[in-house]
Amino acid sequence: MTSLKAIATALLLILSAAIGSASAQTNKPAEIGFGIFTFTSGPAAAYGMPGRNAAELVINQINASGGIGGVPIKPIYVDEGLGTDGVIAEFRRLASDNANQVMIAALSSANCLALAPVAEQLQMPTFMWNCDTHQLFLKDSYKYVYRTNSSTVPEFVADVLYLLSVDPTFKTIAIINPDYAFGRDAGLIVKETLKALKPDVEIVAELYPKLGSPSYNTEISRLVSAQPNVIFSNFWGADLENFVRQAAPRELFARSKVILALGESALQHVGTLLPDGVIIGVIGDGYWLAPDAQRKPQTRAFVESYRQRFNEYPVFPSFKMANTLYAVKAVYEKALAINKDRWPTRDDLVAAAKNLKTDTLTGTLSLREDNDGLVDQIVGVTKKDPAYPFPVMGEMVRYPATMVTPPAGTDPIAWIESLKPSILATVPKPGSYK
Amino acid sequence: MIANYLPLLVDGLADAALIFFVAVGLTLVFSVLRILNVAHGSFYALGAYLSVVIGTFLAGRGWPVLSLGALVISPLLIALMLGPLIERTLLRWTYGRPEALQILVTFGLFLILEDLQKLVFGVQPYSQDISMQLLGTSHIGGIVYLNYQLLLIVLAVMVGIFLRLLLKKSRIGKLIVAVVADEELARTVGIDAPRVFLLAFSIGVFLAALGGALASPTIGVAPGLGAEIIVLAFAVVAIGGLGQIEGAAVAAILVGFTRAAAIYFAPEFQPVAPYLVMVAVLIFRPYGLFGSIGLRRI
Repeated sequence: MTSLKAIATALLLILSAAIGSASAQTNKPAEIGFGIFTFTSGPAAAYGMPGRNAAELVINQINASGGIGGVPIKPIYVDEGLGTDGVIAEFRRLASDNANQVMIAALSSANCLALAPVAEQLQMPTFMWNCDTHQLFLKDSYKYVYRTNSSTVPEFVADVLYLLSVDPTFKTIAIINPDYAFGRDAGLIVKETLKALKPDVEIVAELYPKLGSPSYNTEISRLVSAQPNVIFSNFWGADLENFVRQAAPRELFARSKVILALGESALQHVGTLLPDGVIIGVIGDGYWLAPDAQRKPQTRAFVESYRQRFNEYPVFPSFKMANTLYAVKAVYEKALAINKDRWPTRDDLVAAAKNLKTDTLTGTLSLREDNDGLVDQIVGVTKKDPAYPFPVMGEMVRYPATMVTPPAGTDPIAWIESLKPSILATVPKPGSYK
Repeated sequence: MIANYLPLLVDGLADAALIFFVAVGLTLVFSVLRILNVAHGSFYALGAYLSVVIGTFLAGRGWPVLSLGALVISPLLIALMLGPLIERTLLRWTYGRPEALQILVTFGLFLILEDLQKLVFGVQPYSQDISMQLLGTSHIGGIVYLNYQLLLIVLAVMVGIFLRLLLKKSRIGKLIVAVVADEELARTVGIDAPRVFLLAFSIGVFLAALGGALASPTIGVAPGLGAEIIVLAFAVVAIGGLGQIEGAAVAAILVGFTRAAAIYFAPEFQPVAPYLVMVAVLIFRPYGLFGSIGLRRI
């Protein structure tokens, strides 16, 4: 009798395990884990927190409306302030848990370059929400890695096009960027673009202070003494805010035309220190006051929710994160449609992401054959607006992504070198984006 | 011609001033307690944080001028709260122990203070530049400088002179010098050496926190600030000679000028410039510019 009971129990256990296993394969999970990587500590948090805030809002909104395919998202936030080694360790830990199906990583270009081969090795669908470096897909192609935003090439080519539209006669330029992949890439792109479109420009100073440097006072003296017509910088986060705070009282913005390629992200904090006419980039199309954003009720609702929740307006890193999450939702929905509602595997997801074109809060995102993203670029200048206690962007241009992005499979720098000054006659003019 | 190099002079001195506050505190603590305090940079960071918080509070209450006072009150509070506490509870047990143990203890203290700082002030960057704005700007060599930067140079000189006078002329200073010269003999003649240790350590904490507080209006305050400055302070102390106040001043000026010159003429070398100077000095003078074996250290 005892042995019969034991056999029955064993059979029951085996049966339930088999049913459970089949259920796991075919049914929806209770929730899907998203690893979300951004800076929530240190100087970079000034840029990273708006991304995290947007993730919180968008995920709450998606979950409130039933989740993805009826399954709620469970976000797991990882602070990139851990450093690259720590970020890789966290990525591996999260990827080893089958409950985590997608990684939204990362903010830092250096972390992206380090994570891409790891994502490939672990076969983890990874959507790079902010990494801009054009080196991401330069030498390696990936199956599991997508970039849901643009790269450094369209971002900084757009800045130079704008500069040449507003001031075609300038003779000298100085560059001050952070000393790592993103800053160095930007310096190279700006120089190469100028060499192609205005070869008579002289680079009078080129400075790459340490990322996270607390003080730029000597660099500011050097920039002022070089007397450049134009200063280009792709500082971001607290570096950008510190630079503006330290440079403004020393009249740097009054003496040279300054391009702050990521300036929109700091307008609400230090914008009042800037005079009108500073060229401001968005690196992408995520500007909350852009005409396309203002036309969409969903975007206006997002902006209002963000303002109420966090007491400030969303900046472009917020939109990069929000647009990435909506793009991943679109990937899931496409995969579910292809699978006829069978819950997608990791491989199903990356297959569905291929050639995805989706509407975002601020325009459209296309994922190309090479997994890189195509996003329009908005550039403008600071302009005081009595409706806000900080300057907004005026004289905006929206450069179509295809105009400023190298085609898939081409060497980005070689593509820049192939640009001709005649392109300036064909690009949209400042103020044309209304 | 000279006018062309004037900005370099001002930038070098302004940089040197901020490094000096930290380095001179580090060297004072070493000369009296014989401890190389790795946690010294944390006091710099805490000084910066507290100054920003108090300054912001005062400015928010409509008293922006008082935020200048916060630059002195904050380091004083930190020195009074942490100086005696750390010296009495932690450091006194390491006196006379192997140097490796002392460094490990102060490194542990550094880690604790870094985490404490995150716990109290969070991980977001802080900034508060009202003190800087209040003082306006000046034109030197065609470049606009903040008067606050010039004030830092003056304050560094004043602190250097004050310290020298304190040690040479005051009773407290003479007691410190006696303990530095021969602690055993000092005790036998009735000098309360533990009290001198406590005092010297608290002055060191004050100087580090003062450096942080004075730097705070011109920088962004974020986690990692302490680690950054302590590495630089070690380089300055090594160049000047361990325990040498004049050495710290000269080394700070040397490092400040080298860093400024690197930014002007060879930006690629800026991050390594102080350490190249350190290596160059130590090759020819292994005990630093002012250091020597077996001589009195103060």
